Amino acid sequence: MKTEQDFTNIYNTYASKVHRLCLGYSSGDNELANEWLQETFIKVWKHRNSFKGNSSIDTWIYRIAVNVCLGDLRKAKKTIPINEEVMSNSNTSDYTNINEKNIKKMYRCIDQLNEQNRVLIFLELENIPQATIANTVGLAHGTLRTRLSRIRKSLLKCIKNGK
Amino acid sequence: MENDKLNKLWEVQANEIADINSKDLIRKAKKQRTGQYINIGIMSLTVVILIIYAFNYAFSQWNTFNLGLLLMISSLSFRIILEFYSVYRKEMHVVTMDHKSYHAYLKNYYKNRLIINYIITPICIAVYILGFYLLLPYFKSYFSSAFYTYILISGIISILAVITIIIFSTFKEQGFLRQLNKR
Repeated sequence: MKTEQDFTNIYNTYASKVHRLCLGYSSGDNELANEWLQETFIKVWKHRNSFKGNSSIDTWIYRIAVNVCLGDLRKAKKTIPINEEVMSNSNTSDYTNINEKNIKKMYRCIDQLNEQNRVLIFLELENIPQATIANTVGLAHGTLRTRLSRIRKSLLKCIKNGK
Repeated sequence: MENDKLNKLWEVQANEIADINSKDLIRKAKKQRTGQYINIGIMSLTVVILIIYAFNYAFSQWNTFNLGLLLMISSLSFRIILEFYSVYRKEMHVVTMDHKSYHAYLKNYYKNRLIINYIITPICIAVYILGFYLLLPYFKSYFSSAFYTYILISGIISILAVITIIIFSTFKEQGFLRQLNKR
């Protein structure tokens, strides 16, 4: 990645995923997520020469993103934005309320996980390949698979039972 | 099936990215970089002036005025350089470390910050105050009584303001360390 055009292509490809990852990290605080998104890509541009290609570009970007989110230790304002497009398929206020409640529950449950497990589940829910996740967080692939399955189970149980 | 439920719930969240494009980000990055270069330039210039002053004047005509001035400038410069170094290292690790290593590094970073905040910074402040104290007799004899009072009061107020800021940031960083240890 040397030119501004390369950077623009990378930004257009990864901005959405990085934003949602940051949104998860901020427990749904969109303002904070946008700040972290910008900070991530500012660092990507500033340190583009230090990227030597030892890992893939997506691993490098996700690493920066999760590190930026971890490094900013301000408390997030908890507001859950709902995707209107997804909601439009079932456009009733009851459905909206149920989802909002479930998302809040999901965040409450994710908040109970430890730091690394939180990052793992955010990356997994973004459908990022497990090899990339393993390199991003610094875990062996085998360990990651087992861990993810355990986290998913505990999250579903937590959301279902409300604790 | 159950796993799908989790993914669907995740997707229901809005993805409202701020209206900002890659060009804006490049502009911001360049601005940040320029700011960093200016800061480094100012710091380097200060150190160079300090060295020139020390070798040309202070060491050849040694008196408490020179000592006071050197103590003030060097304690301040040392603390600022330490701050820049610490921030620079943190910035480099954000882009080079995986998440697990960065988490461990951050814990260590805030522990070291406690050493800086509780040991090094008070020493720097004490040295700075000593330097200021050594200059006061010269100020008293060279300047008018009103201007001397102004220097004395503004000096004390500045030192108190700096101490307040440092205490505030120490508490903040202690809070960060507690947060990191909880995670």
